[in-house]
Amino acid sequence: MDFLADGLRRAVHLLLAGDAEVLGITLLTLKIALVATAVACTLGIPAGFVLATRPFWGRRAALTVVNTALAFPTVVVGLLLFGLLSRRGPLGGLGMLYTWQAIVVGDVLLALPIAAALSAAAVQGVDPRFRRTAETLGAGPWRGAWMVSREARFGLATVVTAAFGQCTAEVGAALIVGGNIRGQTRTLTTAVALYTGQGDFGLALALGCILLLLALLVNVALQALQGHGRA
Amino acid sequence: MLELRGVRQRYEGRTVLELDHFTVARGAIVAIVGPNGSGKSTLLRLAALLEAPSAGEVWLDGRRAPRTGAARRRVTLVEQRPVLFRGNVRENLEFGLRIRGRRGADLAARVDAVARQFAIGGLLSRARRQLSEGEIQRVAVARAVVLEPDVLLLDEPASSADRAAALQLYQTLQEERRRRGLTICLASHQLEDAYRWSDDLRALADGRIVPISPENLFRVELPAGSPDVTRHVRVGPVEIAVATERSGPAILAVAPSDIILSRAPVASSARNVFSGRVTRLARPKPGLVHVTAEVGVELVAAVTEEAVRELGLTPGAPVTCAFKASAVRVF
Repeated sequence: MDFLADGLRRAVHLLLAGDAEVLGITLLTLKIALVATAVACTLGIPAGFVLATRPFWGRRAALTVVNTALAFPTVVVGLLLFGLLSRRGPLGGLGMLYTWQAIVVGDVLLALPIAAALSAAAVQGVDPRFRRTAETLGAGPWRGAWMVSREARFGLATVVTAAFGQCTAEVGAALIVGGNIRGQTRTLTTAVALYTGQGDFGLALALGCILLLLALLVNVALQALQGHGRA
Repeated sequence: MLELRGVRQRYEGRTVLELDHFTVARGAIVAIVGPNGSGKSTLLRLAALLEAPSAGEVWLDGRRAPRTGAARRRVTLVEQRPVLFRGNVRENLEFGLRIRGRRGADLAARVDAVARQFAIGGLLSRARRQLSEGEIQRVAVARAVVLEPDVLLLDEPASSADRAAALQLYQTLQEERRRRGLTICLASHQLEDAYRWSDDLRALADGRIVPISPENLFRVELPAGSPDVTRHVRVGPVEIAVATERSGPAILAVAPSDIILSRAPVASSARNVFSGRVTRLARPKPGLVHVTAEVGVELVAAVTEEAVRELGLTPGAPVTCAFKASAVRVF
């Protein structure tokens, strides 16, 4: 058990000392997660809205696909993306493999079904009278959707939290398409995997603590926003 | 003004509304009455252009009304158990006006005027969770009236209001009608209100307009039997005798004028004789009294003022209702 205590001590020391490498990894992770969450939610929330409210041919099948995609193993997504982005792949010309942007694409693919499925569930939970009331008072489709979103704000905040959580915690795709290159594509999760393998348990634990701290901060921020908007 | 032509509405293969022709004239107040599930709310949602009918069309002023744009803004629906948006009552009243481009002092003046009209001035700064069900209904009606629609559709507008509040609400709506010729179509369970405040009353049963008065409607399952036998069907704790050849699901209707009232049971040819007590009296027209009696089910009988006096029919008084099996109409 000594190595655990040593690891924790090292973690506290690294965090308090403001280690440059740890800071770099943290900022890169934050950048990738924020960009991927923004893209996934921008695409996924409207998609969830459409799935929940608009009757169209194949809607049930689309919901099944989205729900199935929730359980996509991250390494499989990483593998598929690697195939697409590798030099011999159809998107090899983009030169994106082993860049932070490639990790963003992988994270978006993983977070998109989460955003779509959870927002569909959140919108389906809103009483249909809100939309009808907005429409009978003169609202068009966009304003009607906005009024429904206001009622579903707690559920939609959960969507953002879950998408962000997926983007920060994902390791499989980040490792495969990012390559875990020091100073370029090394994220908190890939670094934890690497340092644990190398036996540097203290550093791995410190990075794990930062990962938890990030998740905590995002949740606290969203809860504060929800509390502010209570009516 | 408002017409539903050949409208059919089906949900998951089941027809819930079937109207060949339903019209409401400009400036009229039409009440739709009928039991739960008879299609009242569906009719109002279709008339409000919020749903597309499975078949048929909605017309406004002799023109087919599309479900978008200007036509929809001419008709406003207040749903049964209405919902208020997040924000306070003033913001709710402003919602539709802002969509119509009203801003500033003009907006505030219009909201204040309607708030005075509906006696909700004291509620303007309150959030929805600080309101009672009755207050929410009143605010929802005000939120619709503030837009000055040509047609106002109300689904049970006073179901959560006490008698005084319901009276005030209907009086305000009458004033609005007098002021600018507002057309109103309302669905109500409260027959007394429907009689008192509407010009015309339509009974809806199983999605169809039925050519009968709306009292004493019962949804039953008629037992199978030989055609010449009077069927006995249970409605709550009582058993009603019906002369019919039909079997299966049906609506039974007994016209109030076909029910004979007496203080005690009398020997007669009537196959349906039920004793109970008078619960209330209503006077829909001068000289005509609707006596509601609780006899296991609620029955409404239409009698004269003279009969009320001679039989001493007051709330709580004992009464016997009798009607013939052949007086029960089956739909």
